[in-house]
Amino acid sequence: MDPSFWIALRLSLEVALLASFLLLLVGVPLAWLLAFRRFPGKSILEAIFLLPLVLPPTVLGFYVLLFLGPEGPWVRITGLSWAFRFEGLVFASVLFSLPFALTAYREAFLALDRNLLDVARTLGSPWWKVWSKVVFPLVWPGLLSGTLLAFAHTLGEFGVVLMVGGSIPGKTQMVSIYIYDLVQALRFEEAARASLVLLGLSLALLVLVRLLEAKGRAWKSTTA
Amino acid sequence: MEVHYRIRKPIALEVRFRIQGFTVLLGESGVGKTTLLKALAGLVPAEGRPYGGLPPERRPVGYLPQDLALFPHMTAWENVAFPLRGGNRKERALALLNRVGLLEHAHKRPNQLSGGQKQRVALARALARNPEILLLDEPTSALDPLTKDQVLGELVELIRREGIPTLAVSHDPILARMADWLVVMGSGTILQEGPPEEVYSAPSQLLVARLLGYENLFPACIEPGGVEVNRVHLRLSLPPWAQPGDTAWVGIRAEEVIVVRQDRPPPLENILEGVLVSLHPEGLAYRGVFQGSIRLQILLPRHVQARLNLHPGQRLQVVLKPHYLHLMPGQMD
Repeated sequence: MDPSFWIALRLSLEVALLASFLLLLVGVPLAWLLAFRRFPGKSILEAIFLLPLVLPPTVLGFYVLLFLGPEGPWVRITGLSWAFRFEGLVFASVLFSLPFALTAYREAFLALDRNLLDVARTLGSPWWKVWSKVVFPLVWPGLLSGTLLAFAHTLGEFGVVLMVGGSIPGKTQMVSIYIYDLVQALRFEEAARASLVLLGLSLALLVLVRLLEAKGRAWKSTTA
Repeated sequence: MEVHYRIRKPIALEVRFRIQGFTVLLGESGVGKTTLLKALAGLVPAEGRPYGGLPPERRPVGYLPQDLALFPHMTAWENVAFPLRGGNRKERALALLNRVGLLEHAHKRPNQLSGGQKQRVALARALARNPEILLLDEPTSALDPLTKDQVLGELVELIRREGIPTLAVSHDPILARMADWLVVMGSGTILQEGPPEEVYSAPSQLLVARLLGYENLFPACIEPGGVEVNRVHLRLSLPPWAQPGDTAWVGIRAEEVIVVRQDRPPPLENILEGVLVSLHPEGLAYRGVFQGSIRLQILLPRHVQARLNLHPGQRLQVVLKPHYLHLMPGQMD
């Protein structure tokens, strides 16, 4: 296998890993809010979070590029130039995979029997104990499966990372773009091998997601 | 213990009643029973005594919701140990499970337990907090109909032995019969409370009578020494509030309508003549409809049916003994 394949794959895995971690950090509180709280403008907020699901990735990528680019607000506010860099890829990936993670997290929370939380409180538990002993043990399969789904999704993204990162080999060339470049250069044999690796990886991740969902359901059926 | 609570949302209600021993609060669905129980547990905003203003984690109550809410990822003993603090949590939890007779099931998960067993695990878990009162939401609903009476009887016995005042809300009259104190709730307010035999025999109004299973209820006109129902005079002793000329409601339970035996001297008063329209077995009794100048539901114990051998279409006489006729104030509805 061409060493530049491994470099591209490694970059993809790093971006996906960091993006998934950030999604967990941002998505879990957000999903809790959307699952259980009512506030004005909630529907609009939900629609905005789901937008990346229907928007062409190039459009999303274009806006992220404008936002992060040399003339964009991000540079003016923070002084950090993230376009065509690793940070920009992670930022775009978080936005792109947010709907997947958010939907899975929210489902996990909605499957939780609220009576369990109420009873835990009447049994004298402060909120942190309710979370650590009741909420987390019951929702972690859902949270993990949502995160794995977001990870797999980030691994396969193309349009957004092409717009935000360009395709700078060794710097922002992710594995999906690498394969595209191979095909453009008519190097079909190498493209086929690289694609097979990605196919295997994605399949393994999805099997894991399914197993975790089954575990989440097992809890749900015993609460009734 | 005196309870006085005012709730605005999700249902507006204001109630004042006593909890004394095993107290059952009876009411139809939707009158706010569960809301009241949640308010007492601190889970619904409310004002009142006791515990007003305290968050749920600081109220000394043991709350058992309708679905019991056992933690599905914990075994029975881990559920019971949940509220315990300090050392020997496992031993203390096992001792509590022993108290409710479930020691041998300590290592089972909730989904491996029967409805009655789950209920007792939930009880043991609530007892682990040393509550001042227990709050039970529809304790009959989680139980298998076939064994409901027995399992419920055991639960009530267990709670009595623990000596903790208990408020059980229910729409099931079976539970009401086991109560030490019975409270009847209407929409947003308390209709009547007292010892169950008193409430059962003398419901204060039509709604209470309906809830307690009075099937024969008729608008009546008060006359000297009795009432008139469908142009029939029924003698009964009038309470002080009943003035001749007033309208009221008179009720009699189906099981207290007595069929007259032809081989005995007939009673002297309140005899109705008519036809037995239908008769069906109902458990170990027989339920029938009597049509005379008044239409009555009747319920015959099986030993009575064995002696009388009644059949539909037959003419018969029934007697409404003054002692069993109950008069309640109220306009015709």
